[in-house]
Amino acid sequence: MSLWQGWVRALQRQEVGTSLALFRMAVALGSLWLVLSMLPHGRITLLWLRRADGGYREGSSGSWLVEALGGASSTVVWGLVAVGILAGLALLLGLASRLSAFLALQSVLALGWINVHAGGSYDDLATNALWLLVLADSGATLSLSCRLRTGSWTSDRLVSSWPRWLAVLQLVLMYSTSGAQKISHHWVPGGEASALYYILQQPEWQRGDMRWLAEVYPLTQAVTTLTWLWEISSPLLLLVFLARWRGERASQQGARASRLGRLFQRYDLRLGFAAIGIPMHLGTLLLMDVGPFSALSIAYYAALFHPDEVRALVTRVARRPAPG
Amino acid sequence: MSEAGPQTLSWGAHLRGLLVGLHVLAVVLVALPAPEGGMNRASWADPTVQAEFQAWADRLGALGLDLGPEEIEQQAWTLAQAWTKGRNVVLKPIRPYTRYLGTNQPWRMFVAPHTHPSRLHIELREAEGWRTIYIARDPTLDWRADQLGHDRARSALFRYAWPGYSRSWKQLSRWLAERAAEDFPQATHLRLRFARQQSPSPEEVRAGFEHPRTWGQTRTYELGPIRAGELGPIRAGELGPIRSGEGR
Repeated sequence: MSLWQGWVRALQRQEVGTSLALFRMAVALGSLWLVLSMLPHGRITLLWLRRADGGYREGSSGSWLVEALGGASSTVVWGLVAVGILAGLALLLGLASRLSAFLALQSVLALGWINVHAGGSYDDLATNALWLLVLADSGATLSLSCRLRTGSWTSDRLVSSWPRWLAVLQLVLMYSTSGAQKISHHWVPGGEASALYYILQQPEWQRGDMRWLAEVYPLTQAVTTLTWLWEISSPLLLLVFLARWRGERASQQGARASRLGRLFQRYDLRLGFAAIGIPMHLGTLLLMDVGPFSALSIAYYAALFHPDEVRALVTRVARRPAPG
Repeated sequence: MSEAGPQTLSWGAHLRGLLVGLHVLAVVLVALPAPEGGMNRASWADPTVQAEFQAWADRLGALGLDLGPEEIEQQAWTLAQAWTKGRNVVLKPIRPYTRYLGTNQPWRMFVAPHTHPSRLHIELREAEGWRTIYIARDPTLDWRADQLGHDRARSALFRYAWPGYSRSWKQLSRWLAERAAEDFPQATHLRLRFARQQSPSPEEVRAGFEHPRTWGQTRTYELGPIRAGELGPIRAGELGPIRSGEGR
């Protein structure tokens, strides 16, 4: 089989939609956070409306859609906010998931680009995820659509696997290229490993006074080096997926998996990856105000696991006897 | 789990393979590291950036590569310019895909700590003199903190403390002056400025040492003309020299 045929056949793989549905719901929550957090205290007026409508910015916005609609007027911006909230809720519930994802995507994209100075990586994390949800059949299960279609909240209807793989690729791209750009001597091993200590001293992002970190400085150094190594080595995750896929193909054909494949099947790097990544994002959420970045990052972790693995985990937890 | 499909692959399957492959190619190319947003030579003069060049000069020197910080800076600038130019050419056909469908990949997150960060201070002049009404992250001086403390506003203010954003900083400071004119009818002037202060090392924290502050991006507004609908920023120095530590 040629490489091209292997690629095309791989994209034909299907699975139950549980992992994608979890990804959908988590992304919807992150996107709602992104829009809803702007509602109180006149933040929308300040940061998104043009000067003529009460904001501080003059001139055109960076969003093609907002410009096409006539500029960042109160009507246009609040209209986009309303679309973002309604589409986010529909996506969370799994109602017309592709359409909801597309509307949420265009809303978040437009709002995020109105004021390019007042945005963050979470905008891009959200829009990338929403685009994948436009491409995916994420409402096949755990959705209102499923309930209306089958009378049940869950379904075994098969969906394409490749959108989930693209979500994993997205996660790896974010970590690996972020790590590759951390070339400061504060980050790169062999130096002071003081990056996290000093980043947490920056008033721009901190939630409160972080001078207490001086008392646990060696710990911050260890976490700095761990973070850098973890980000740089994240492409190994793709090797895990490749090795597991090749292993499954080999067993279907009655052949033995490669040595590397057996190694990755035996030691599941995904668990270690998640065991570092999720606490790291929770720590970021606790110590820094970087909006919904951590929540949206964690949303992608749902894509790391095959629906069968998710179901096995749910079954295992459900069967565990209650304490006492 | 199943690998569906007949032995012969349909045109639809090939088309899907092509489109998914193009998506992968596009996002990987866009994600390639780039100094986007950092190509401002004035920003490179910042003490944080200069300390970085010095640290790398020391590190390379220890490895036997005798390059001074100025030489490293010049080579990095030349390389970054060439890379940015080449990258723009390669990414030109991909830009519509990122712009219209949100597939941009700007993962330049905390590439280096800002060791000389800035903190916004806002002060009012009333009959009794100057009074500070806002300091970023100070819970007791919190005028409009619900707006200025939101992560999106923090992101904008982080940028406005750097050179190269003076137009936007002027727009935001004017907006704040207009709000101050409404919120404090007795006040005569509003001053906005960033206090820059080197972050203390762990040893300095333990010793109780604090680096001195310097002030930058100062803008002062007379609030009377704003209330009368005639707005104009006061020229630098009109209220006398601004000294480090003033206003607290």
